[in-house]
Amino acid sequence: MTTVLTMARQELVALRRERLPLVLLIVFVVMVSVSSLIGWLTNTTVSNVWQKTVEAGLTQAPNPFTDVSALYYARNTVIYLVLIGALMAIVVGVTSAMRDRKARTLDLVLSRPISVPAYLLGKLVGIGAWLAMILALVAVISWTSISVITGAALGPGESARLVAFYAVAWLLLQAFVTLGLLSGIYSARETTALLVPISIWSVVAFVLPQIGTSANPVSLLNPVPSVIVPGGAFDTLNTVLSPLSVTEEFKTASGLILGNPEVTGSLPLSLFVIVLAFAVGAIVLLATNRDRIRGALRD
Amino acid sequence: MTDIAIRTTGLSKSYSGTAALRNLDLTIDSGEIFGLLGHNGAGKTTTVNLLTTLLEPTAGSMQVVGVDTVADPNGVRRVIGYLPENVQFYDNLTTMENLRFFGRLSGLSQPDARIREVLDYLDFTGHDDQRVGSFSKGMRQRVGIAQAILHEPSVLFLDEPTSGLDPEGVRQLRDVIVALNRDLGMTIFMNTHLLSEVTKTCTSIGILRQGELAYQASLAATLEAFPGEDSLEEIYLNIRSAPDS
Amino acid sequence: MTSTLVIARKELLDLRRNRFLLAILGFVLVAVVISVVVSATQFGTKLDDYNTYLDALRAAGSTTTPAAPQLFPLQLLRGSIEYLEILGALFAIVMGYGTIAKEKQRATLQLIYSRPISRYSLAAGKLLALAVAWLIAVAVIFGAVTATVAIVGHATFAPIDVQRLLVAAATAWAYLLMWSALALGLASSARRLSTALIVALVLWLTVVLIIPQIGDTMDPDNQVPGGLFKSLQIAKPDEQAVLANFAGFDSVRNGLEVSSITKHYERFTFAVLGIKDQYNQQPLAAVWTGTWNNAVSMWLAALLAAAFAIFTTTRRKLLRRTT
Repeated sequence: MTTVLTMARQELVALRRERLPLVLLIVFVVMVSVSSLIGWLTNTTVSNVWQKTVEAGLTQAPNPFTDVSALYYARNTVIYLVLIGALMAIVVGVTSAMRDRKARTLDLVLSRPISVPAYLLGKLVGIGAWLAMILALVAVISWTSISVITGAALGPGESARLVAFYAVAWLLLQAFVTLGLLSGIYSARETTALLVPISIWSVVAFVLPQIGTSANPVSLLNPVPSVIVPGGAFDTLNTVLSPLSVTEEFKTASGLILGNPEVTGSLPLSLFVIVLAFAVGAIVLLATNRDRIRGALRD
Repeated sequence: MTDIAIRTTGLSKSYSGTAALRNLDLTIDSGEIFGLLGHNGAGKTTTVNLLTTLLEPTAGSMQVVGVDTVADPNGVRRVIGYLPENVQFYDNLTTMENLRFFGRLSGLSQPDARIREVLDYLDFTGHDDQRVGSFSKGMRQRVGIAQAILHEPSVLFLDEPTSGLDPEGVRQLRDVIVALNRDLGMTIFMNTHLLSEVTKTCTSIGILRQGELAYQASLAATLEAFPGEDSLEEIYLNIRSAPDS
Repeated sequence: MTSTLVIARKELLDLRRNRFLLAILGFVLVAVVISVVVSATQFGTKLDDYNTYLDALRAAGSTTTPAAPQLFPLQLLRGSIEYLEILGALFAIVMGYGTIAKEKQRATLQLIYSRPISRYSLAAGKLLALAVAWLIAVAVIFGAVTATVAIVGHATFAPIDVQRLLVAAATAWAYLLMWSALALGLASSARRLSTALIVALVLWLTVVLIIPQIGDTMDPDNQVPGGLFKSLQIAKPDEQAVLANFAGFDSVRNGLEVSSITKHYERFTFAVLGIKDQYNQQPLAAVWTGTWNNAVSMWLAALLAAAFAIFTTTRRKLLRRTT
């Protein structure tokens, strides 16, 4: 336990000092804040246009935002988590695994009475704590901005859903952290270590959903998961491939938790896929042996 | 052609206000094997980088075989060869491909024959089509020397050439240096910590201390000047710790 | 041989031997081909549904013949172009960054610069090599997707289609070379390699993913569940009148979108290939009239990136101390 806590603490210190995770973090927090601003701007614009349309006698429909759940304004955060959050998690994982290899301090660490699983678990715990703090901050920003946009503080039910959404986000990001850590351990070069998990992320986020739903890549940059084209091979493909696209399952879970009426699916199944992705990654990571971790770094 | 291979006058180099080298006045005759000694951070690599035109001086001047390094850097680059410390190559390329590349950059239009001649001279044949990525430190050093002498430079700069070599590798390198000087008349400028090698290889030495030249003389004169000292190591440490005059 | 050509030749040899780079280019190739197969299969499904519907009509005694779905082969390339836009840009950054990173991480810069090479030959040589490498890669990618469209989509190509493909390929080449040149310049000018990689990745994230996505988010039709006009129950003829009220908002949205060079690449290429319905089957002259600003922006950005790479990849910058 001491090893785990020591490594976790070391991880937090290092993350505070490293620039790439910090820059990505800033981009992420800014985008979530901007997303809220855009939500407010669009809400105001559409409401003004609705008013003018009513006055011109072109419609008698109520304001389209009347029955929309307050959590609807958080939906763009889903895509920022899939884009920026996942990439940030990969970079943090790779950086953490590479740190001791690059500084050549790995032998100083491993020549001490610690086990490799404890060493790696400590990294995972430290990064997990860092991600939890960031997501807590982002949750507060979301809660505050939604309350401002809607003109009323979110109630307990909606607040609980928001917390649940960010908890699921934490699980998704931890899955990508394990991917980054594994890549950092197994790769012989720093560039490879970064690019392999990013390639895997692009397969998971774009290629698999495209095969399963025929959706084009850019349309997948949408908080709402793609709807399959019914008929033919796509039904079968979607059944087989959709559980592998953890990002699409995250969109489904998020949409259901946030009460997005456009999203359908099974929350338990989506949550299961996300938890499984994290669990499998963590198990493979903790099974890494000493020789593997000490692999030489080229360049 | 001048008899002076390297001359520096008031050569200085500062990085962000910190002086790495101060008022270096150095004269090295053609045909010498000069060993530059000094503690870590004394300015040895800075000196080599200045003389090989990789850095520009903050003050002072330098000529290599009579060519001013600032006024005509390309002129200097044509007549020097350089082996950096822990030389690296393009791992995916073979010995021939790496040397062909550097040979062409040095102005050799058809370098293959020359490359084979140099590799033969260095007793490094049979590895032409092997990728450099698979080579040991000693093998890389051979390829490193090869690239440095392909274009028959007048002056060869070696930065810590024995770093990381085993005793046999050190001996082989010594034999090469001595042969290049004897057979080709090459002036050799060498940074090194290995004082035993300096004794066996160099004809003159200089000692840097905190960025300044504390001592320069021929090796023979040095050994004569310190008759009470048992080795060059004792002489070096004596000079190193002497109070500033 | 000039030092530029010597450096370019060596660089191409090195790129050819880099198995990792070949793997990621192979990955892009597989992704773009899959995309065409998926689009063609989707069209096939649509056609099957149409035929089923037609059979049902006939069985019910109807003589109506609804319009059959029409295959425009080049429209099947939409996903492939989007993959080049997103993943191609990322891998172009890696290639450009890598050509300088590997020199900085070894002592090969000293070996190069201690030789009598001309001032810009290192930059020019590496850019030339990247240009040739991307030319080959784009040719292979476009060859593969064209063949896939022909085989899986059972399509034939008219001479005008070939012209469109060549224009699209040339634009893709410029787009990818732009990202490589930018990354090369960043790797040269940054004191630390990690800084260059950070800046390049953040630029990719912002320009390729975030800005276009914000533009999409700001579309009012995407903000309201079920779509704006549907929820307002606006009749089709009145939609224009409603849209006029969004003019200011839309110009902000459009302004944001065009700040991304990726959007320029996408708009021009979609227009050329007829992916955008407005330009489908239109002569290239008409496409040019509507999208010349996108094409010019794209090529200007590529030239500026190349200039940035050349003027920042200097002896002084590359050999300066990083500690």
